Amino acid sequence: MKDIIWYCILGFLVLFLMFLGVFWGSVDVMNFDENSLYIIQKIRLPRVIMCVLCGAGLAVCGSAYQAIFQNPLSDPYILGVSSGASLGASIAIVLGLESVFFGVGGFAFLFALLTVWIIIRIASVGNKLHTTTLLLAGISINFLMAAIISILMVVSQENMSKIIFWTMGSMSGSKFSDIWIVLIFVFIGIAVIRIYAKELNAILTGTDSAKSLGVNVEKTKKIILLFSTLMIGVIVSYCGVIGFVGLIVPHIIRLMVGSDNRRIIPFSIFGGMIFMLLADILSRVLIAPSELPIGSITSLIGAPFFIYLLYNAKKQLNP
Amino acid sequence: MDKTILEVKDLSYFVREKKIIEDITFSLQKGGFYSVVGTNGSGKTTLLKSISNIIEPTKGKIKINGKNLNKFSPKLLAKEISVVWQHNEFLFDFSAFQIVMMGRMPYQKLLQADSKSDLSIVEQSMNKTNTWHLRNRSIKQLSGGELQRVMIARALAGQTPLMLLDEPISSLDIKHQLDIMELLRKINKENNTTIFIILHNLSLALKYSDNILALKEGRLVHFGNTKDILNKENIKELFDVEAEVIDGENIIIHHQ
Repeated sequence: MKDIIWYCILGFLVLFLMFLGVFWGSVDVMNFDENSLYIIQKIRLPRVIMCVLCGAGLAVCGSAYQAIFQNPLSDPYILGVSSGASLGASIAIVLGLESVFFGVGGFAFLFALLTVWIIIRIASVGNKLHTTTLLLAGISINFLMAAIISILMVVSQENMSKIIFWTMGSMSGSKFSDIWIVLIFVFIGIAVIRIYAKELNAILTGTDSAKSLGVNVEKTKKIILLFSTLMIGVIVSYCGVIGFVGLIVPHIIRLMVGSDNRRIIPFSIFGGMIFMLLADILSRVLIAPSELPIGSITSLIGAPFFIYLLYNAKKQLNP
Repeated sequence: MDKTILEVKDLSYFVREKKIIEDITFSLQKGGFYSVVGTNGSGKTTLLKSISNIIEPTKGKIKINGKNLNKFSPKLLAKEISVVWQHNEFLFDFSAFQIVMMGRMPYQKLLQADSKSDLSIVEQSMNKTNTWHLRNRSIKQLSGGELQRVMIARALAGQTPLMLLDEPISSLDIKHQLDIMELLRKINKENNTTIFIILHNLSLALKYSDNILALKEGRLVHFGNTKDILNKENIKELFDVEAEVIDGENIIIHHQ
């Protein structure tokens, strides 16, 4: 019952921030003239809806990855999905393939999936996924992708700003036609992760422990990994790389409601929405009429707060 | 009526060429209290992990109530065997109650909420292990003894006929070691749960168990009645130490 009251409060906060996101910006739209309505309908409304969807998806993916890897500092980006997507986008931009295969977004999505497939292939022993190898493989691939992107930027300097913008994330190109695709993937992804919430709790107590509780650990890990990656791939393909949401939001939620994924998932949905809406508003108004990449804003908010949380946790552990 | 709950036949587990356990054969009777002893690296934990299907043996057969282990789904097996592990590292914060409730997972479907019956079984298990007063405490804040009692409560909540324990008392002081052993004996007697416990403390093995499995270099070298097996000669053979068994109740190890 207490949770439902919290959901209502957070739900109102999300609506308030959406309202703020639509009506606050470099152009005043409160006069509701033709131009204002165009900006609201075609630019700001799809943008805040995309923020809400991406925030929810990224935050829930973060909590799922942290459970699979049994590590509170894990994040979908560690697996290399982001750098894979960035590389796909960069290749499409440099080779001028922007009108082939769903454009830059399509390449980003394809490379994200390809990266995860390679990493899983590297980390699979028999039908098992070894967590440490998986993380190390992810980190190595991340370095490799980042190096290739740097080379691409140097050899194709005329496209450098485009590539940088993609690798740092943006909500500026959001359209209603894109929203439906993101909505379907985020909805299915979150639903699957929520179905396996109890299994994820058991995995958090250790792999052997979860197996002895009757959890098919490898199958659960693969299902969660597949659906979260699809979700992340789709989000990155439409909005670029937005880091920290999957790391910071579940962490804060865990401090507030404990480690039960049955509660973390719904709270992370709201937490992710709020975090992304705030970051997007800041990205638009901080140096208006110019705009900052949302990825840099999420890191600017996320990193210091995360350091503060770590510092507090350290004090609790070593009083 | 057949009282055999577990049969292990010619069980071997190799890592590449290295034999961790080899040709182990034994069976456990329902309601028995079995202790597994042996030096470090003698294959005790590998044996326990094979029985609980955590690892797949290289060869050999394991049957639970006459049915091959590989015929059990993970959930079905968790209704037959519960495990208390030696190391419990919790990076994430759960309450003691949430941990014990996980013992009910084999009986719950995906998305099913905890039922009244689950709540009642968890309460009973926590009362039996004297952990009900710790239910809202974070698992990270429990002492070693409290944590092991909570883990035993979780195994108990699974209502399994067979409970495997991997050195559950090795990091506890002697008072808490005795508390845990008393608790296991109570569970063994009152619930008729078969206990299969890996122990290093031979005096406690002698005091509490009906039967002993003694492993040396991956082989089962002795299996049978505790008092017959834990004698001076066998202890010398197993551990290469001089020991004295006093009145069939206490074992004193002499310094060499």
